[in-house]
Amino acid sequence: MGKEDFNLLKWMATYDKRWTYLLLFILVLLPMIYPIGMPISVSELTKEYYEQLETLEEGDIVLDSWSTEYSGYMELKPGMISSHKYFIKNGIKLFICLGHPEGLALVQALLDEELKSYMEKYDYTYGEDYIILGTALPNQAATLAMATDFQGSVKVDWKGDSIQGTFLDRIETGADIDMISDYTTGAGNPGLINHIVLTFGTPMIQNQIGVSLPGSLANKDAGLITGLLASTRGGSELELLVNEPGPGLIAMDAFTLGHYLLIIFIVIGNIGYFGWAKRVSEERERTTIR
Amino acid sequence: METWIFLSQIFQIFIAFCLFTTLYGKGNPLRSFAEYSYLAAGTAMSVMWAWNYIRDHAIIGLQAGEWIWIPAIILGLMMWFRIHPKYSYISRMPIAFTIGIGMGWTIRTNIFTQFITQISATIVPLFDQGAMWLFERTVIAVGIITMMSFFIYTTEIKGPHLWSATFGEYFMYLAFGAVFAGTFMGRLGLFVGHMQSYMFPVWKQPYTLGIAILVFVVMLWLDRSGLGEKLSA
Repeated sequence: MGKEDFNLLKWMATYDKRWTYLLLFILVLLPMIYPIGMPISVSELTKEYYEQLETLEEGDIVLDSWSTEYSGYMELKPGMISSHKYFIKNGIKLFICLGHPEGLALVQALLDEELKSYMEKYDYTYGEDYIILGTALPNQAATLAMATDFQGSVKVDWKGDSIQGTFLDRIETGADIDMISDYTTGAGNPGLINHIVLTFGTPMIQNQIGVSLPGSLANKDAGLITGLLASTRGGSELELLVNEPGPGLIAMDAFTLGHYLLIIFIVIGNIGYFGWAKRVSEERERTTIR
Repeated sequence: METWIFLSQIFQIFIAFCLFTTLYGKGNPLRSFAEYSYLAAGTAMSVMWAWNYIRDHAIIGLQAGEWIWIPAIILGLMMWFRIHPKYSYISRMPIAFTIGIGMGWTIRTNIFTQFITQISATIVPLFDQGAMWLFERTVIAVGIITMMSFFIYTTEIKGPHLWSATFGEYFMYLAFGAVFAGTFMGRLGLFVGHMQSYMFPVWKQPYTLGIAILVFVVMLWLDRSGLGEKLSA
């Protein structure tokens, strides 16, 4: 095709979509090397989540459910880090239950790397302040067993050591859990709502990935969860509220630029569709009918 | 930093960019290598995860004299008959048992969480919490009624029903648009999170950029030389 044949509308409808990916790579990587520092606001949803955190008192016990795999962790990371920093700083007791095989890698990524120095700073120690139960909540059966007879269903931590003599002695049923903090990449573990929230009225907060937000928003609207943190954006907002800047705020430049790119390509795609693709398809239809 | 940690981080970055070559739209051995490595590692972790669960609950439970685990272990072992064509029917028993229990839970709990509480959250007083509340709740109520009317197929759609169904249809378009926006936000969050883990700490940046360029050039070379599709699994 010669230069004189170039049609902008046709290009908008038919350009090679791989350019989108390449541009997205560049737009995400560049602000990580040269940060811009775009401002962000805090949404009502995140404020409500933070207010729920503030209802906890020192020594309260939180069921810390990590129903996420490693890739989902990348999206939930800012929220997980800032929520846990709040727990650590305020002396909240955590028992961590994993709901995914890759959860074991998250223990290393979050506790041994991201939060290690923070836990040392506040003298937050294993056994006394937090316990990892490992793959304790793989399904509804396990959740129901834990909710109705905690001591009968959980005896050891993830390393096989007995949990007797720890703060978990205070838990007999789901009623003794002060809050559920769930980090999930979808439906997560419905047993938490079905067998603990519904039965014992335990408040539950959730850090959810963007794809599954609509379902969680309905649950929040229905009062089944009391706080909801939305994706990386919610996590970065929480970083502001707990005054602990972290990966979320660093990510926001790339996040914002990525959204601008999407808007530009939506506009290009729509102009291309209405200006070229639809017209060509209608003309083809007319020719076929004749 | 220990050498093996450094090497594992570099390998992690390399394998991630190999997986990203799938966006090019053509097969290549880099992507195949990364894909099968991930599957193999994921399978191994799942097996280990399941075994840990059995050890922590069933084996330790049995050692503590909890004989209730014996039928559970027997049911679990029955699942293995699935691999033998002649006796595969035996594996249907634990499956039926599991489905039965699942149905029991669903009827007992989901009727509240997915049905009654969701409906009662929709039917709320409109006028006691300000103008924004009134607007939001009205939109939700109108949206639900009109969208439901769209799915009434047993009568001819005409008159007020047609208006309502059309209104409901546009409500659904809005909802799909919001879901798409949420999906993009989520996927971008994932992508940015991954890129952050390859770019920070700052010492990773030259390696990440170098590996990205290297993988990109090799992918293009494989494609141009015709080896990409040929060597991919």
